[in-house]
Amino acid sequence: MAKQYGFLIDSERCVDCRACLTACKASHMVELGVSWRHVTSVWKGSYPDVSFTSHSMACNHCEEPACVKVCPVHALTKRSEDGIVVVDHAKCIGCGACGRACPYHAPQYGKDKRMQKCDLCVDRVSAGKKPVCVVTCSAGALAFGTMEELPALAGKKKVARLEGATKPSVFVPVSGA
Amino acid sequence: MSASCEAGLSRRAFLKTTGTLGAALALDREAFGLTPMLDAHSAESSAGREKLVPTFCAMCGPSSGCGILAKVVDGKFVGIESFPECPTNDGVNCAKAHGAPQWVYSPDRLRYPLKRVGAKGEGKFQRITWDEALTIIADKLKEQKAKYGPESLGILSPARRSYSDYLYRFLITHGSPNYGHSGICGAQLTFTFLYTLGAPTSPDYDHADLMVIWGKQPIFSGASKRSVSKLVAARERGCKFVTIKPTLEPDGAVTNALWVPIRPGTDAALALAMLNIIISENLYDAAFVKDWCYGFEQLKDHVQQYTPAWAEQITGVPAVQIRDVARLYANTPRAAIDCGNGLEHSVAANDAIRAIGALMAITGHLDKPGTNVWGGGSAMPQPRGVHLRERYTQEWVDKLVGYEFPAAFQPAMEGTSASYYRIFDSVLTGEKYSIRTIIAPGSQALASTRGTRRIIEALKKLDFFVILDTTRTADMPYADVVVPISTMYEIDHPFETSGNWIMARNKVIEPLGESKSDYEFWLDLGNRMGYGADWWNGDIGKHMDWRMEPLGMTYEELRANYPKGRTYEAAPPSYQKYAAHFSSKSTRLDKGPYLPQGKVTLYSTLFEKAGLTPMPVWRELPEGPTATPALLGKYPLLLSDYHTSRSYNASWLRNVPYLREVEPYPFLHIHPGAAKQRGIADGDWVTVEGPHGSIKVKAMLYPGTRPDVVMLLHGWWQGCTELGMADLPIADGGANTNNMYTTDPEKMFDPVITAMSSQTLVEVRKA
Repeated sequence: MAKQYGFLIDSERCVDCRACLTACKASHMVELGVSWRHVTSVWKGSYPDVSFTSHSMACNHCEEPACVKVCPVHALTKRSEDGIVVVDHAKCIGCGACGRACPYHAPQYGKDKRMQKCDLCVDRVSAGKKPVCVVTCSAGALAFGTMEELPALAGKKKVARLEGATKPSVFVPVSGA
Repeated sequence: MSASCEAGLSRRAFLKTTGTLGAALALDREAFGLTPMLDAHSAESSAGREKLVPTFCAMCGPSSGCGILAKVVDGKFVGIESFPECPTNDGVNCAKAHGAPQWVYSPDRLRYPLKRVGAKGEGKFQRITWDEALTIIADKLKEQKAKYGPESLGILSPARRSYSDYLYRFLITHGSPNYGHSGICGAQLTFTFLYTLGAPTSPDYDHADLMVIWGKQPIFSGASKRSVSKLVAARERGCKFVTIKPTLEPDGAVTNALWVPIRPGTDAALALAMLNIIISENLYDAAFVKDWCYGFEQLKDHVQQYTPAWAEQITGVPAVQIRDVARLYANTPRAAIDCGNGLEHSVAANDAIRAIGALMAITGHLDKPGTNVWGGGSAMPQPRGVHLRERYTQEWVDKLVGYEFPAAFQPAMEGTSASYYRIFDSVLTGEKYSIRTIIAPGSQALASTRGTRRIIEALKKLDFFVILDTTRTADMPYADVVVPISTMYEIDHPFETSGNWIMARNKVIEPLGESKSDYEFWLDLGNRMGYGADWWNGDIGKHMDWRMEPLGMTYEELRANYPKGRTYEAAPPSYQKYAAHFSSKSTRLDKGPYLPQGKVTLYSTLFEKAGLTPMPVWRELPEGPTATPALLGKYPLLLSDYHTSRSYNASWLRNVPYLREVEPYPFLHIHPGAAKQRGIADGDWVTVEGPHGSIKVKAMLYPGTRPDVVMLLHGWWQGCTELGMADLPIADGGANTNNMYTTDPEKMFDPVITAMSSQTLVEVRKA
């Protein structure tokens, strides 16, 4: 592969504002009831020593994507030029195998039952722009780049590749949340 | 958080075992049971027919100021792109900004002027022309002016907007002082800080080592206007955070803040106890107190009664924590307090804010790096303002139908102001005279002021009610005339400024239907009323050029020569400007200084002279654990409401599907323990019942809630057509928090600044 694009997800910065999610929906005109990106808050402790961390995640464009492997009609492709995992809407038969295979629940299904998901704003990044979720984030909790570029985008913060069987193309802070 | 809270919790074990961030995912769609209405992938390839218009977001109303590039395809506004050159927001935008096209084209949009044809409240209207609408309004105002005097007109203030001063100008040219201010929106903080510190301050996030966020939500209030980026940067720089509020919100979570879980409305008690500790433990800045504070000895004696143990009973904050926070603040040289709207919703609001001002002053945390500072100036000449405050007289002030700020302090910062609520009261009681016409420009009383049933009665009795808005409002069924206002995406004026930067607003699309801007409406009406000399004879172009004169260019020259705005030189930061700010002149008729002694007012001789308490005191809530313990048996939980949210702007934007999906229901934050005691599960519909009314809302088990408190967002009534969600009832049985609070005039207001209490006791049970 020429290069692999991915995200840096710094949940230590995420302020749970949901701008990324709304920007994604608006940019891709995602149907109502479906979201390609999700923000989840995980609580820890109990009152009054309680807090939470919010995680914003969409598709991780894994190096070994489980969704691509299981698709019976080859509707899913991992692009050789940039590693983005894309779905051919016309080919998809809506069997749901990808949704069951993905450890990150990235595949989403709308009214037509066919799979839809984050395409890393492939049209934008091909034109040299950043994905909309990254652009709109006030907190700098999301960054975009190649696997080689991403660690440097965290500045002084130590980051590591998110571990997982499918090798997600995502870096996260080492200290963890 | 929102509805994904439960999903997040139930996945915690899974998250631990997998160790992956990726599993943290909420299926909002399933949780919310939403009906998909839009076709996906309907956007065809459109590169050739697309244009990007540099302009400003309007989702927080005019004067939000965040830059956007509005994307237009075939004449239709379809989305926004980043506008990094705009210094207000540096190219980032909040969730609301992305919902703009759905808001503009919403089925709830008002496109044509309407005249009521059915009974009041019935909601039957007939379409009329703009000309007919303006004629009806002008004729009625002329008739009432002759019959009842010009003061029979009241205008209900929206949030502070770039058209606010046009409302003042109209009132002044017409002859009425009755600008109805909401009593819960920024002015209360500003007024009180003016009379304590001479000028409101800003917390210096860039240099602080300790930031105390007090009754404020910096994430949802202007998220994209550098408040989030500054907060995150301060945290990563090593700044410590304290957050004082009834629930732990994202600002506290992301900064690992020390959370001070205070009972809503009791901030004055906490601040007074902090003064007690700082003074009794000699933690104050003696030199600053000596040089720049007036009344320290009186304050010292006065606060002896406010011990941490006393405050613990009222605030619910452990005395030891009150002591710790007071010491931490006093002992950190670079410490600042970021005050928000939460402080304004209490009968002791003025006391809380004065006490906080005193905390800043006696610790010397004023106008030094990392403290509460006064901004520097700008080399930019200021465009002409449209206010006519130079025409105010004592007679004018005396004519006010009911005061927001006491008579001795009028006109206040914005101008003469009556309390919003008191304008409606005058309709019902005729005290001190009857208001005959109310104009609501971007304000909806039923959703935003107390006593919904009482406001409905007033709207029924009112002679003439005019609504100017972009979108259907809660009050509309009672309107006589509805005037459709263009959204700010449909007009090319006015300019927007940000410190030392100015840019002309550009039109994204043509106005929908027969709508015009707020600015055009007031010029048009002023002209029709015969006040043309004061209203540029209705010519908006001439008017904008008049405003631009101090900058030495016309409005069109600003647009043509500076398509992405003009930047002027900013003044370098400077500190310790005490002599200048402590002698600043007030907006009162006598122009006397805010601080008569030229020092911070710890003891107010002005307040004393006006018959008000010279030093901050504690005033009990209308209902609360220590105010009305007898009610606790029946109503054991303290209810209050949030002013801001990530998705909405006050009572607006519930009709925007992409935003409604994020926050689909009126969620009641309740501690999981309190919920369990009542057999309430996450997502259950619950009835919240108190002494004054009841609402039906959805429980959200929220671990960061005080167990004796429940909180929800205010402003719920509007449905969302695209999501198949109907309007909620505005009175009992809906989710409008205004039904819940007292309307007893002796108990509901702060006696100085007319802040409205947002607290009552309730019980919650499964609906």
